[in-house]
Amino acid sequence: MSKSANKDIMVAISVPPFWHCGRTIRGNSIYTLIALAPAMLAAFAMWGLPAIRVVALSVFTAMACEFLCQKAMGQKPSQHDGTAAVLGVLFAFLLPAAAPWWLVVIGVGCAMCLGRMAFGGYGTNPVSAVLVGWALVFVSFPTYMDATSTILATDLFDPLLRLKQFGAADVAGISCTDLLLGLQLGGLGAVYAGLLFLGGLFIIFRGVIRWEVPLTFLIGVAVTAFCFQMADPARYAGPLFHLLSGSTMLAAFFLATEDSCSPHRRLPMCLYGLTGGALVVIIRIFGMYTDGAPFAVMLINLLAPMFGLVVTRPFGWKKGDK
Amino acid sequence: MKRRFNILSDPRFRLVYGDVRNFREGFKPRKLRLNREQFELLPDIKKKTQVYPGMLLAEHPSLEKGDLHAPVYGVISDINVRSIFIDVLEDSAVDASAFPAVERVELLNSDLRGEDLVLAVKKLGVNTRSLGQRARTLVINGLNPEPGITWAEAMLIGYADEIKAGIELMRRFGRADEIILAVPKGAVVHVDGIRTVEVEPEYPNSISELLIKQITKKENPEGWASVGIHNVWSLGHVALTGLPLMDTVITVSVEDHWANYVVTNGSIVGDLIEYTGEPLKNGDTILRGGPLRGESLDQLDRSITKGTQGFFVVRKGTIPPMEGDSICVNCGACMLVCPTRIDPRMLSRYAEFNKYDMSRKENFHLCVDCGLCSYVCIARRPVLQYIRLAVNKLRQEEAMAKLTPVVPVSKD
Repeated sequence: MSKSANKDIMVAISVPPFWHCGRTIRGNSIYTLIALAPAMLAAFAMWGLPAIRVVALSVFTAMACEFLCQKAMGQKPSQHDGTAAVLGVLFAFLLPAAAPWWLVVIGVGCAMCLGRMAFGGYGTNPVSAVLVGWALVFVSFPTYMDATSTILATDLFDPLLRLKQFGAADVAGISCTDLLLGLQLGGLGAVYAGLLFLGGLFIIFRGVIRWEVPLTFLIGVAVTAFCFQMADPARYAGPLFHLLSGSTMLAAFFLATEDSCSPHRRLPMCLYGLTGGALVVIIRIFGMYTDGAPFAVMLINLLAPMFGLVVTRPFGWKKGDK
Repeated sequence: MKRRFNILSDPRFRLVYGDVRNFREGFKPRKLRLNREQFELLPDIKKKTQVYPGMLLAEHPSLEKGDLHAPVYGVISDINVRSIFIDVLEDSAVDASAFPAVERVELLNSDLRGEDLVLAVKKLGVNTRSLGQRARTLVINGLNPEPGITWAEAMLIGYADEIKAGIELMRRFGRADEIILAVPKGAVVHVDGIRTVEVEPEYPNSISELLIKQITKKENPEGWASVGIHNVWSLGHVALTGLPLMDTVITVSVEDHWANYVVTNGSIVGDLIEYTGEPLKNGDTILRGGPLRGESLDQLDRSITKGTQGFFVVRKGTIPPMEGDSICVNCGACMLVCPTRIDPRMLSRYAEFNKYDMSRKENFHLCVDCGLCSYVCIARRPVLQYIRLAVNKLRQEEAMAKLTPVVPVSKD
C-alpha cells in the first residue's frame, strides 16, 4: 500500500510565486533584437557589406568586452542573455555605414566598459551605455561619425543638416514618405523611422518596454516642434519632419526606454518622456549638433533620478501623515 | 486593449473561472497527519488510541483557534511535537457501535448568542479569528482568493445554504454591525437577507485591503474588515451538519486542469496526487495554498490542513528557473505592478544585504503579500520572499523592543 509510484520522486523546492509572467532578461533581449531586425535588414539591403561589417563588428566587440570585463571582475559571464548583443546593434545603428573598424571598436568598447561594466553590469548604468560610447566617438571623431562626409557615392542627404544650414524652407519639399522609408543619410539603422516605429510597437505589446516613455517622448517632440513652427514657419520645420528625421524614433523606443536609466512610475515616466522630446527639438534648433536626439536622451537619463523624486503617496495615506 | 498594454496580461488573473460544479467528495485518505503545534493534547490521546469521526483530540489555548478532532475511524500510529499520525481503518473493518455516538450540535436552533456562540464554534473546530472580527462593516470576500483557485463561484451558487447558515451565525456573534457580501462583477448572485456589492474580479482585488478599497474607494478606511468565503463556508458546513469541522475545500490543480475537492483534514498530499491519477515527475514543484502566495512542500507526506485553500503541481520547466544570486536590473516592473505603491526593488535589496532598518523608510509594512512583484521580475529574484523576510525580522525586533528588561532583584 505504501509502495507508491511517487515514492522516489524528487520534488523541487521553490519560493512563491510559482507562476511567472514568462518574461526574462534573455527573452526581452531577443524581442528587442527581433524588433530591430527589420531596420537592420533594410540597412543591409541599402548599404550592403559595409553595413553588415559595422553591425557584426559592433556586436562581437560588445560581447567580447563584456566577457573580458566580467572575467576581470569575477562575475559570471552572461553573454547568453543577449544584452550585450542589443547594445552592439543599437550602437551600430547610430554609426554611418562607412564607419572605419577602429571607430566601431573604440566606440562600442567604451560603451561596454565605461558605460556599463564600470557601474557593475547590466541594469546598473545611470546613463544609457550605448550613448556613452556614441558621445565619446562623436565628440572625438566628428568627421568619421558624419554620414554626409563619409558616404559620398549616394544621392541621399541628411535632412537635419539641410535644416541646419539652409532653413525650414529648404526641407519643406522633402516628402514624409521618403523620411518614413529611411531614404535619408544618418545612422545606418536609425534612419528607418517607419520600421523602427513598428519594431517599437512590437516590444511594447510584448511588454518589454512601457508605452508611457515612447508615447510622451514623441508627443514632446511634436508639441515642441509645433510651437516653434507656429512662432515662425519660415525658420522652423514642422512636427512631422522632426519625428521622422534623424534618430528620433530610435531614441524614443529603444534608447530612452532603457530601464535602468529611466524612472519607473507612471507620472515620472511621462514627465521624463515629455522633457526628452522637447529637448530633441530644442537641441536641434539651438544646439551646434544637427541631431539632438541622442544628447536629449543622455540629458533625461541624468534627470531620471530627479523625476523619480515625484512623491507617490503610500497606500492608505491620509492628510497629516508624513 | 487596456490589458494588452499592461504588463500583467495573464488571463488567469481574472478570478472568474465559471466552475460551479459541486465539490468532489470521493477521496479517501489512507493515512492522516494532523497538525498539533500549539495544541494541548487530551490526556488519554496516546499511540495506539482508537479514534472515531468527531472525537476531540486536542484543544487550542487560544479562543480564536478551533479545536482538533479526529475526522475518521482509525488508530493513532505516532505522535510527535508537530503532528499526530493516524492510520485510517477501512469502513468494512469498523464496528461503529463500539464507539460512542457524537452528539450533534444544532447551532442554528440553539439560542446561543455572542461570546457563548463564538466559544461553541471554536469547540467545533472552526477558527473564529477572521469570522468574528470586530468591525463596523465586515465584508465576506466572495472572490477566489488567488488565481488558479476556483471554489468561490461554486460556493456562492451551489452552496448558498452553507453560506446563508454561516452568515446567520456570524450575525449572532454580534461583533460586526453590518455584514455584506462581495461578489464578482457580472455574477448573478443573490443570497437572501444580505446586501451584495460587486467588485472587479481581477487579482489582486481579492486581497483584503484591496477588496475594501474596491468597495469603499478609500484606502484602509476605518471600521472595515473582510473575511474569506472559505471560512464562512466552513462555519455554515458545521452549522448544517452539526458535527465538528473535519474537512476543507481545496482546488487541486495539476498543470492546466483543476477540480475542487472536499478533502479530509490531515490528508497526505502524496495520496491526493495518486488519487488525481496524474503522475508526478522529477523536478516538479508541489505547493499548498495558491500559486502566488502558497508554500512549496519538500515531501509527499505533508498534509492538507483545515485552512488550506488549494494544492498545485507545477511542472518542471513551466516557468523560468530561479537562479539563487541573480541581481536586480532596475527594470521597475515590480514598482509598476505593486498595488500599494511601495518599492519592492529597494526593499528586496535591503533585505538581501541585511539592511532591514532601511525597509522602514520604504513603508515595508504596507505590503499586502500579493506576490505580483516576483511574478513580473525578469531577473527571477525572490522579491516577495525578501520582503517577507524583512517584515518578519522587523516584527521580531519590535517585539523584542517591547519586552521590559529583567532587573535582578536585590537581596535586601
